[in-house]
Amino acid sequence: MLAIYKKEMRSYFTSIIGYLFMAFFLVILGIYHVVYNMVSGYADFAYALSGIVMVFVLLVPMMTMRLMAEENRQKTDQLLFTSPLSTTKIILGKYLAVLSVFGIVMLITCFYPLVLTEFGEINLPYAYTAILGFFLLGAAYMAIGLFISAMTESQVFAAIITFVVVLVTCLMDGIVSIIPTDNRTAWIIFSVLVLILVIVLYLMMHNVTVSLGIGLVGEVALAILYLVHPSFYDGSVSAFFDWFSVVRRYDQFTSGILNLSSVIYYVSLCVLFVFLTIQAIKKRRWS
Amino acid sequence: MIEVKDLVKKYGDHTAVDHLSFTVERGQILGFLGPNGAGKTTTMNMITGYISATEGTVVINGHDVFDEPEEAKRCIGYLPELPPVYPDMTVREYLSFVADIKQVDKKRKQYMIKDAMKKARIEDVAERLIKHLSKGYKQRVGLAQAIIGYPEVIILDEPTVGLDPMQIIEIRDLIKELAKEHTVILSSHILSEVSAVCDTVLIINKGKMVLQDTPDKLSSHLGNKDGLHLTVKGSRAAVDAAIAGVPGVTEREYKEPKEAGTVNVTVYNDGSGDIREGVFYALSGAKCPILDMQSSTMSLEDIFLQVTQEDNAPKKKAKKKLVKEEKQDAGNL
Repeated sequence: MLAIYKKEMRSYFTSIIGYLFMAFFLVILGIYHVVYNMVSGYADFAYALSGIVMVFVLLVPMMTMRLMAEENRQKTDQLLFTSPLSTTKIILGKYLAVLSVFGIVMLITCFYPLVLTEFGEINLPYAYTAILGFFLLGAAYMAIGLFISAMTESQVFAAIITFVVVLVTCLMDGIVSIIPTDNRTAWIIFSVLVLILVIVLYLMMHNVTVSLGIGLVGEVALAILYLVHPSFYDGSVSAFFDWFSVVRRYDQFTSGILNLSSVIYYVSLCVLFVFLTIQAIKKRRWS
Repeated sequence: MIEVKDLVKKYGDHTAVDHLSFTVERGQILGFLGPNGAGKTTTMNMITGYISATEGTVVINGHDVFDEPEEAKRCIGYLPELPPVYPDMTVREYLSFVADIKQVDKKRKQYMIKDAMKKARIEDVAERLIKHLSKGYKQRVGLAQAIIGYPEVIILDEPTVGLDPMQIIEIRDLIKELAKEHTVILSSHILSEVSAVCDTVLIINKGKMVLQDTPDKLSSHLGNKDGLHLTVKGSRAAVDAAIAGVPGVTEREYKEPKEAGTVNVTVYNDGSGDIREGVFYALSGAKCPILDMQSSTMSLEDIFLQVTQEDNAPKKKAKKKLVKEEKQDAGNL
């Protein structure tokens, strides 16, 4: 695992990507920090941090796109998977490397609130809670990016899909707020979601019977629910999409609330997607 | 050493490897031979644990690849079709990384890297980035990677593809040398290579094993008849009359002569004895001087084509064309 970790770290810092990531992140954060905290004199560092959540849309694909896709394209995955290392160790090594690079910029970020103490009273625990939340949010996104990278041989494809996924989850709150809340719309939305699930299942398993079966069962169940017990759909859409609104939970951190359930939410997202990555790779090699 | 039993790999309805069984003893070189798409690479990928088998077992050094992958993989060095190299690393960095993931002894690591580079003859490019190396050098880096950690079993998928004739000879010598300490499986579609290097040849076609034997014994397997190629100066009638009288001669096959006034003929004997002397005296008696005489045994090319194309007899024309191409291939090497 250490060998994989070292190799990934090396490749981040012998190519331009690692430096570009750090420079880009720190420049953007610096601008927000100066404008919000220095020029406007706003003492809340969390405010500057929450302003730059959107940089993940660019930075996460940049960091994760090549993780597995490049190995798949160069066929170096054959070297890794025929070595005595287990798939889990290989993926963990890669994930820890990407987390470390991100961790380095977050460590640098930790100095920003200290700079502010020069100018007056700063609520440090408040600021560091926000930084922790920001790190967890980023870590969850990186795990999603890793998963997407493992699904393809093309870095560009991995980057685009990761970009879209991060963008959609960032904008989820806005999207949910414009969706009508009546039961009929909810039914239609869930039906479409089941259809998407069927397509994804088919793409992953190439099994018509299973994916169609699941699709049919899902659609019928939704229709029966709508006809028999329409109140089931009350508020279901926003409740459902809240789960995917990765950013929503981050807002709690920026308000200085260290909520255990939010921490667990992010950590489980990381674990889930690393686990899914390992399973997807095993599945592809073992089917 | 390596025991493969009833190996099956199915992709949906397509059976890529169909109940393949064989064993390789320590220190042997086994050659996989087969047309494109015969399942050579799939089989190798299963032996190395890169992909799973639908059915069957692979046991390396007493470890089942699918049940104890880590132990089994420790005994294997694998060079896939494309050398799995990282273009942005130098050769030394790359080999050091490979040594790390193969978890070799830290103290012996530097020595192993040096030794692998020496064996693959890449010491002069040790500090160069792999992306700047030629195809032949990349292949050798791939080979060095496979022998790092001195695995008991070395598996090479078409190791000489993309190399120039000089390098091919070097790689063959290296493989023979490796077989002194390791068990080697290699695949190739270049037949002369397999006959030159391997102790045992395994011919597969459409995922099924067609034949397994030593290169020398393979020809006797197929009821092969020994022939004698002759180029004789004289008329066809005179030559035929002279040869027909030689005891032991059965068939005579005439081919288009290359030079005017000569006859090109292949003479087959009935196996009762050497006919060369008889043919010589008969032709000299008929005042037809022999310009060229060559005895021929069935080459591996012929055997290969015969066993892999047995079930598509109507394609004889294609077969003949193929023979020519293959021979040219072999000639080029």
